[in-house]
Formats: sequence, structure tokens, C-alpha cells
Amino acid sequence: MAGVLPRNGWVIWLSLALGLLLSVSPLPEFMQIGRPLWVALILTYWVLALPHRVGMTTAWILGLAQDVLFGTLLGQNALILTLITFLVLSLHQRLRMFPMWQQSMVLMVVFGLAQLVQLWLNALTGSRPPTLAFVLPALVSALLWPWICAILRGLHLRLNVN
Amino acid sequence: MAHEEQVIKPLFAKGPSLGIRLLVFAVLSAVLMVVDARFETLKPMRSQMGLVLTPFYWLADVPVRVWDGATQQISSRSELMAENEKLKAEALLLQRRLQKLAALTEQNVRLRELLNSAALVDEEVLVGELIGVDPNPYTHRILIDKGEKDGVFLGQPVLDARGLMGQVVEIMPYTSRVLLLTDNTHSIPVQVNRNGLRAIAVGTGNPERLELRHVADTADIKEGDLLVSSGMGQRFPAGYPVATVKEVIHDSGQPFAIVRAVPTAALNRSRYLLLVFSDRRTPEQRANDSAEAQEAADREAEQARNGEQVPAQSDASAEDAPAQEAN
Repeated sequence: MAGVLPRNGWVIWLSLALGLLLSVSPLPEFMQIGRPLWVALILTYWVLALPHRVGMTTAWILGLAQDVLFGTLLGQNALILTLITFLVLSLHQRLRMFPMWQQSMVLMVVFGLAQLVQLWLNALTGSRPPTLAFVLPALVSALLWPWICAILRGLHLRLNVN
Repeated sequence: MAHEEQVIKPLFAKGPSLGIRLLVFAVLSAVLMVVDARFETLKPMRSQMGLVLTPFYWLADVPVRVWDGATQQISSRSELMAENEKLKAEALLLQRRLQKLAALTEQNVRLRELLNSAALVDEEVLVGELIGVDPNPYTHRILIDKGEKDGVFLGQPVLDARGLMGQVVEIMPYTSRVLLLTDNTHSIPVQVNRNGLRAIAVGTGNPERLELRHVADTADIKEGDLLVSSGMGQRFPAGYPVATVKEVIHDSGQPFAIVRAVPTAALNRSRYLLLVFSDRRTPEQRANDSAEAQEAADREAEQARNGEQVPAQSDASAEDAPAQEAN
């Protein structure tokens, strides 16, 4: 990290806070089932763009915040977000080279895996959702990825976040 | 070159490897989950974090508030007058029912005295407002704007204008989380208002449906029956409406009848709700207290009767008293 001074770090935190806000915002009943994984999407962008600034520790803390916000067991979403960050970080070198649609495909698999773990953890605590609907958020998130990526990249470059 | 070094260097400068870091965080998360699920130690920390994070719910709710405010500003005079008219009619109807209620309450108290049972206590209520809904569509939980500072306690029953909604499952300093009746981890003991038949109503995960478990095929229950809380679990006060039976299916292949009911409370529409402060004593304490109250009342009645009799025949009453005590 030597030589890299953090610059405009508040943008990262603000965008993540916005993600948290979006993840609890009220939605119509039929859309709730496919609510995009906002926090995971925004986190993924920052992990890909600035891996030296945003990593697993950030993901874990953010996950704890989500747990408190959703009233799930402390550590459940923390585990999920850490897992997503781990997968993104380990695919990081390749993901950055991929064209956008390919990135979306890979992220769909990553988010799908995360949703699967989420399903297992929910089953352990007793509230088990009906089968297969749980991959819907992963699909919606993957479709949203190009747009999120474009918006955040615009912000990233314009404000020169580092 | 210097710029490139700045960007590229951190990519490869890593501390412990990724796998190790994942392992550490995974173990940490697992430990936290187990501790949170089994012990109480994390509760204070959680409620403090909740204090910081609940403004998110408030913020997420702002568009709804703004919309409500705007429609109120814009709604025309005629609409308001129509609403006023309707509310007046409703108030009249309710007042008529209230007139009867006074007489009925009086009658109920007298009958209860005859039966020597404890007096019915009217519960205190606190009005709360909905500020957030759980984003997970498979759990039915809501967030309300009353918390520990308002005296809310774990397991407190929550009502709306039409019936029971659920119970408090998590308290934070200024907010609390309510588990609704229809969550599939929730059950409530009920009884049929018409004949007192007891059953357990279990949530199904569908906001418009409860199911009664283990109701015998021959049980006297039919469509349209009102189910009220029976107070058996010592958690919900008795006598509040819970649901109306929607259908009863008798299937000879099944050991029990399938009974489906619709909650009377508007679980996914109510914005204002009532937190009930009922008796927080344990059943033993309650029985003890009512027994003591009964004894005191008896003693008073005894004294009053003796007092009346004293001027007439003092010897007889003096002899009478020990005899009654022996009884």
C-alpha cells in the first residue's frame, strides 16, 4: 500500500450505504422475490476496481451491518459477502479482462452460489424459502451489473477515487 | 511509470493468502452465528448497532411519507368531506356498540364474581407506527418505531384495529421488530369464538392464510367461524380476534381436517398498530394474587356482616367468627 494515498474514500462508503438503503427500501410484493443484491453488486465493483482499498474485511463489516439491518443471525450475511469477495478476488485478474456480458455471466454464478449458501443458512434457522426462487435475485443482479458498473465507473473516474 | 507502479503494486502486495483470510472470516462468522443463536451475550451489541442502522429504514421510507403527504395536500375538498362523512357514520356505529358494551361488561363482571374467578383486566396499549418491512420476502417481520425506551418487551403482543398482528421478537433502543402471525415460524393458540374449541393456528408464509393444526375430522368448526386468541400460551392476551375460518376440508385420507383461515388484522396494510401491556406476572403469581384478593374481599364482607350484627347480638357473632375460621 506504500505510495498510494487514499483519495475520496467517502465515495466508496457512500455508495455502499446507498446499497444498504436500496436493500431495505420498500418494493411491491411481486418484485420483492427478485430484489437485486445491491450491496453485493456495489461491493463487487469496488473490489474489482480498487482491490487494495476494499477487501474481505470491508465485506465482513458490511455483512454485519446487513445482519443487524435485516435481523438475521449475526454473521450470516457477513459470511455471504466475504464469500462473494473471496470469489471475486480470486477471479479478479480474469474478470477485469472479460467483456461486460461475460462478467455478468460469471457474477451470476458467483451470486447464485452465495444465494445457495444463504438458503442453507436460512434452512438451519428454520425459515426455508420455496425452491429455486432463490436464484432469481442472482439473475436480476447479473442483468443489472453492466449498468451498476457503468454508473460507478463514471463516479470513480470523475472523482478520481483511489 | 510512477503512476503505473502506484496502481499495479498493491495488486500483488498481499498479506495472508486469500484462502486463509476466507477461512478466518468464515470461522469468525460461524462462531458469531452460533453465539447469537444460542446465547444472550450479543444482544446488547446488536441493539446498539441497531440504533445506528435503523435510520436506513427511516430513510428508505421517506418516499412513501412524501407521497402520503403530497396526496393529503392535493386531495380535494369533496373527497375530504366524503371521508369525514364516512368516519362520522363509522363513529356512530361504534358508539352504538359501545353503549351495549358498558352493560355487557357490567354483566360480565357480575357473572365472574358469581363464578369466583379473577376479574378481567383491561390492558393498556401504546400506539406504534410501522417504519419498515423485512426485505426478505419469505419472512414476515416488520419494524416499528417503539423500542426499549418506550417500555416494549420481548414477546409483547401487537394488535391493529381489527385483530392480533404478532409479537415483538427483537428490541432496539428506539425501534423493535415484530414477527407477524403468518410467518412460517409462528404459531398462536386460538379458540373458536362460537363454541370454545381450542386449536393452534400456524403461519404459512402467505400473508392471507393461517392453518389450524391437528383439528379432528369431527370437530365442530365451519366456514365463517371467528377464531380468537385463547391466552393458553401465556403470551397473547385472551379474547382478541385472530382469524376467520375460510375453508374446512374433510379428506378421508388425512388423519385431521384441513382448516384454513384468513387473519382478521390487515397484516400487510396496517400502518398504525397497538402494543399491548397485559399482565406481566407469571401464572402462579397471578393465581396467588387473585386468591389473596379473594380472601381480602371475603374478610371484608365478613367484617361488614359482623359489623351489622354486632349491635343486635354480640355474643352470637363472637362465637360465630372462630367457627367460620375453623371451616
